[in-house]
Order: sequence, then structure tokens, then C-alpha cells
Amino acid sequence: MIDLVAIRSGRGGLNLASSAGLSLRGLLLVGLLIGGHAFAEEKGGMAMDHSMQGGMVMDATGMVMNANSERLPEDCEKISRDYEFTVIAGTKYAEPFADTMFGFNQHEWKVEPCSRITVTFKNEDQVRHQWMVHGLPKYIYDQGMFHMEAAGGHTQVGTFIVPSDDRTYLAHCDIAQHMEKGMKAQLVVGRGDGDLWSIPGLTAKFERPPTATFLPRWIWLGLLLVGFISAAYLWPRLIKRGR
Amino acid sequence: MGSLARATTVVILLLVCALLLPWESYPRSWKLWYADTFGATSYNPASASVPSTPPATQTEDFEEICPADVKGWRKAQTIAGVKISASPVCMPDNPWAIAAFVQGTNNVKHMALMNARLAPDAVVKGRDLDGDGDPDEIHIRLEVFELNGGSPDLDVPVVQFPIAPGIKPGLWVFAPKSSGMSTENFESIMAQPGIRLPSPAIRVEQGDVVKVTLENTHYMPHTIHFHGVDHPFLDAEGEGNDGVPVTSESPVMPAHTRTYNFQPRQPGTMFYHCHVQVQAHVLMGLQGMFVIEENRPNNWVQTFNIGDGYVRHSSVAVREKYDREYDLHYQDIDKELGERVQASNDPRVITRLIHRDYDITQADADYFTLNGHSFPYTARDALIVTKPDELLKLRVLNGGSEGIALHTHGHKVTISHYDGVEYPEPVRITRDVVWIASAQRLDLELSAKNDGLHSYGEGVWILHDHQEKGVTTGGIGPGGNVGIIVYDKYLEDNGWPMTFGVDWSNYFSEDYYQRKIPVWSSYDDTNRFGDVQGSVWPKLKIVLLLLLSGIALGLVYRWVFTGDKGLDLKVSDDKASGDKVPGDKTSGDRHD
Repeated sequence: MIDLVAIRSGRGGLNLASSAGLSLRGLLLVGLLIGGHAFAEEKGGMAMDHSMQGGMVMDATGMVMNANSERLPEDCEKISRDYEFTVIAGTKYAEPFADTMFGFNQHEWKVEPCSRITVTFKNEDQVRHQWMVHGLPKYIYDQGMFHMEAAGGHTQVGTFIVPSDDRTYLAHCDIAQHMEKGMKAQLVVGRGDGDLWSIPGLTAKFERPPTATFLPRWIWLGLLLVGFISAAYLWPRLIKRGR
Repeated sequence: MGSLARATTVVILLLVCALLLPWESYPRSWKLWYADTFGATSYNPASASVPSTPPATQTEDFEEICPADVKGWRKAQTIAGVKISASPVCMPDNPWAIAAFVQGTNNVKHMALMNARLAPDAVVKGRDLDGDGDPDEIHIRLEVFELNGGSPDLDVPVVQFPIAPGIKPGLWVFAPKSSGMSTENFESIMAQPGIRLPSPAIRVEQGDVVKVTLENTHYMPHTIHFHGVDHPFLDAEGEGNDGVPVTSESPVMPAHTRTYNFQPRQPGTMFYHCHVQVQAHVLMGLQGMFVIEENRPNNWVQTFNIGDGYVRHSSVAVREKYDREYDLHYQDIDKELGERVQASNDPRVITRLIHRDYDITQADADYFTLNGHSFPYTARDALIVTKPDELLKLRVLNGGSEGIALHTHGHKVTISHYDGVEYPEPVRITRDVVWIASAQRLDLELSAKNDGLHSYGEGVWILHDHQEKGVTTGGIGPGGNVGIIVYDKYLEDNGWPMTFGVDWSNYFSEDYYQRKIPVWSSYDDTNRFGDVQGSVWPKLKIVLLLLLSGIALGLVYRWVFTGDKGLDLKVSDDKASGDKVPGDKTSGDRHD
């Protein structure tokens, strides 16, 4: 049912609860290294009803889901190249961007098609963070997702292989408001297929309801009136004077 | 223009104005004179009613009233050795999560955590200190989530939790430390079931050594104050433990953590809430019930009750005396506060909007919730289900900015505890309107004994705040904090109450709470109370009237006070240019 070999060889999350023991102050923590089940919330049933090639490794330091260092996407003949990235998550990395609160040390990564990417995901904050890539082929990655979650102060390592087409993938943290407040990045495969919106330091925000809602009504009515008078009354007079 | 032509123009204008003026606006004496002279004017048919819209059940945006329980969460089950009683309501709590909360997330298998979407250290249960067969070291981890928050990419709120159809105010909640996404799945923008309003009820046992770690996953500083819970002002390390920024500690900044320590000596129904900028943070939803259960042997308590409501694994002491136990958390919400997190994506701007721009002294609550939902959603998960002759324990918390006058139909309840302190049995009060002040907790005994006093018999009996705005959602009723006491005889198989009144489908439509549907449309078959078909002409008439009157006044003014210049602007323009242009002309001449 589950390709446990792929999980293990994916170097994902074999760091058991060794460091977690300290913070738990002697309370017994059961090691929770069990594969065989996707972390998925399907409509209509338990996720275990679905067959999949990925799997997950989870313990108190975090988790790695759908790691894959072996299986090639159907459109790839071989691994074109191996990359190793260190992605660091922390509020510190949000400081250069004044309107964010959370951040990655880098918000864009460029790789060749069919390459194998090993990510060391280091969390420098005290709360958990995620680095999730979406839109990967679903026949390899359940829900099309490669997902790492690191508990506060912990590091996870995971590997995945990207397909051959030029595409830009979303990488983000899915904890409520973490992406919105800065943890949004992109993984560009080949030439990519266009930048994503709202990436700190890279692209503009796509949409934002106007804060003008909170301007008092008389101010915007006043501005409107000033504009109207200048156009309708002063402007024709100036033109006439010029004649 | 001759004076005759001028007078004619004015008369014509006045006549047109007179015709445009609605008949009703003329003085009564004029109307009488007109009627005497010309008789009654002809019949002017009233606009027809707008054809009634089909019931919401037939439209596309209709949502299923009671979604099917495909995961089998309602039935009684035993998970990880924890007996979980059947949930009578349509949308029950996740039994896997309940098992993990009872056993401790450190003591259950991976599968339970996966299905509960909990972190392995969300609720860590340790040693049995008093040797009575249950753990007494409890370490709870809470995270902070924003529901219905803003997004730089979407024009709809993200991590949605509607409190009623289409009602999505920005909210902040505490939730047990979870694992993975905050949404149901990547395609969904709905919050996963473990993250919701209200912040969950927390249960520990009297005498437990309790640690609560606040893992601040939110983008603003927060703390936790354990209101009514026996806790030392400073902990063993001499650090502030009261959660109050001005007296005990610095708030927990974004992405930081802090642990609170206490060993409560007294049992009772208490309260926990954020104490940073309370006028905003508490009412944004950072508040929950905190229950300290009496110490008993083999008393494995259900540490969290997600969404409050029915307690599927009650403590030993409660089971000794009561047949069922319910947590009822009332809140009120000001939409002008909640919408501020959706108005910007910049934490600095949101901070200003919430803490300096917003003025609670000018505020009014718009939404009233029971266990995080307003009617009709309360019927999905906040029903109080009973059988004849049962005795129920209701723990009630009012977390709202105003008191509530809780009225039970069909029953008179008895107040057994005020703010967690037992009231002496001989002098207990039994009544059908219970006043609950802000932050107050009452433990109520609801007896289903049909004696004409405690219960008037089986039925579907509502309970609600009798300050009538409390039964509305933004002023539209029925809504607000209406809950229902249902006898099991009146419960459908799927957990929906059998009702004998009007069809509810309108109430499951967003349009209803946006004031778009006539309130009686579901049973007004002949459309006698439908909307009046709007006509543009009456409005246009008024606009024309005002415009023409203005023109007439302007003309009269011009002719009377500025001499006979008619509509010719040339003279004044020449004058104006004569005043200022010469300088330019001379300079132009020089260049020539």
C-alpha cells in the first residue's frame, strides 16, 4: 500500500524525539514514527482508503510528508541534477519587509526540470512553521503536495523530484495568516510559468480591499467635490482666459 | 430676453415643478379645494409585489442543512480505550480528537493524531502523582489562529468560519496545538474542524499540576489570564503568571511561547482569556471556558471540548450526579471590530485599526453566538438533547460585552454554582430567566422531570437571550444565540430536531441575513407580504423637481439681482480677461 522505502530513503524525519524529550520535562513521549497514512482530509472518508506512493513521518519535532527521492515523474528520463537547499523560517527574516510578520530566509528558488531537491528546513522561531510545495504530480505526491513542518527550534530534511515542465510552484506555510503575513515563496522549475503574486521582495500584492473604508465619509465626499468644482467651474474659465 | 419671455419661463418651470411634486405633499386645504372643484382623481394602482423567490432549497447557493455524517463521528465508539458516548447532534465533535484529549496526545497512536490533526505534544499527560489511577501532570499547548482573516491574494476572507450563513467576521481563537494545515485541505479555504469559535473549553482535575504553553502563532502579541482559576501570581521561577501585561509579564510576541503554571485547589467552572488590549482581544474571540473537575479516582478528563456543547466523555464526579453535561459559551461580536483584520494585510495598519481607530465606547454588538454559532447553525452542533426524567448539567459562560438574560422555554432551571462556587442547596433559586453578567459562569441544573415546574414535558424547547437583539443576527431574526432543548423523541435519526413550525430553508440562505428576503416568504403563499416592486419614476420625479427648482431659483436670482445679462457669459468673461491678460499681452508683443 505505502512505499515505505521511498519515505525512508527520502531522508525524511528519521530524527526521532531525541531533542523533544528536553522540553517535555521527563514526561514520556511515545515515538511516533509510523508511515502508511497520508495526512489528508478527504471528503467522504478516511484518507487511508486512498492508495498513494508517498507517506509521512511525524514526531514532536515535526513531519515530512510525501518525501520522494526515487520515483521519477513520468515525463523525466533521469534525475537532471541534485540540489540541496537550506530554508530557514523565522520572524527575523520578515524584518526587511515592513508589512510582514513571518518570513523565509529566501523567497525564491530556481531549479532545473527533473531535478531532485533536498530541503533542510530549519525553524528558528519558537512556534511551528511549514514549507509546503503545491501542484506536484498527484500520482506521486498525494494531493500534489510535498509538505514539511518543523516544530519551534527544530529542523526537518526532505527530498522530492520535480517534473520536466517549466512551472512556478507555490511554497508557503499554511498556518492561518502565515502566508498572508510573509511566508509565501516560489520554486521556479526551468523558466517557470510566471511569477506568483504577493511574494515579499519579489512581486506586488494582487488584491487588497481599500483601507479607504476607514476614511471618514466627509473627507472622500469633500475630495470628490473639490475635484468636481475644479473640473466643471475653474477649468473652463482657465481655458477661456487662455484664448 | 424680454421680461415677458422671462416671466413665461419662470411660470412654465413652476408649473412643471408643481406637477412633479407628489400629490400627498400639497397642503390639505389645497387638496380639499381641488377635490371640491374637480372631484377625486383617478385610481392609481399600487405597484405589484415582487414575485417571491423560490425557496432557498432550490437555488444554487443553498447549503445542506444537516450534512451527512460520512465519517461515522456520531456513533458511540471506543478509541484508544476511551469510551466516547454517541453524539446526538447533526455535526458532532471528532471522536479521534476526544480520545487523544482523554488519553493525552502522547499516549495515543499515530492514527488517532492524524485523524484528530493534533500535534503529538498538544496535550501531554504525565505521572499519576496521587496514585488514584489518573494522570496528574498535564501539559497543554495552545496556538492562536485568525479565522476569516484578510489575504493579499483573495477578495474573500481566508481560513473561513461562518458563524451563520454568509456571516464571516474576523475572529481570533485559541486552539489545541495542531499539525498540518489550518484549512480542511489545500483546495478549501474553510477552517479545519479543530480550529473554530469558541476557543475550546479546557478541563483539568482539581490538584493537577497544570502547565499551559501559549505558542503564539498569530501576528500580534497575546497572553493568557486564567480568570477564576487558582493560580499563583508568580510561578516557581519568579516569572509573572497572571497574564496581565501591566502587572505581571510582557506579552508573548509573535512566534514566541510562554508557559503558565498552576495547581488549582478548588473545582469549578472558570474562564481563560487573552489579557492584552482586552477591549479588542477578548471580544475578537480569545476567550474560553476553563473547568476544574473534582478529584476522583480513575478520572481521565476530556482536556478539550472543541466547539463546546455536549461533553462526550464527562468526568467521574459529573457522571455521579448527572446524566449529561453541556458547555454553553455565549459571546457577542461587533462586526466593525472583526472586519478590521480584513481591511489591510499590514500588521502595523491592522494594529492601528484595532487598537486606536476602533472605539469600544462607541460600539454595538451585531452578532450573538452560542458555542460559536448563531441560529440556525446552533441547531447543527449546539442542541441540548435529553430524555424524560434526566438531570443535566449546563455550564454557562457569558464572554460577551453585555449581560444576557437566558430564558429556557418549557423548563425552570436551578442555579447550583456561581463563578465556580457552589451555592448552598436549601437556598438555591429555580427560575426561567437567568441573568449572566459579562465573564460570569453559572452552573445550571436542568431537570427533565415533567412536574410542571422543572419541565412542562417533552418537546422542542428553545432557550435564548431574552434581550431581543440577542435573537438576531445583525438585527435580522430569527438568528443570534437561539439554542434548543430537544427531547430525544423529537430528534430525527440524523440529529436534526423535528419541528412543527415554518420551513427553515430561508434561514440557510446568505440573502436572508443580508435583508434581501421578506421575512415571511416561506409561508406567505399569496405573496401578501412580498416586496413592493420598485419604480424609478417616483425617485426620478423628486430628482427632477429639485433640479428644476434650482434652475428656476438661479434664473430668478440672476434676473433680479445681477441685471439683464441673460445666459450670455461673454461680458463677465471679457471683464475677467481684461483684468489680468494685459501683462501677458504686452510680454507677447515684445517678443513679436
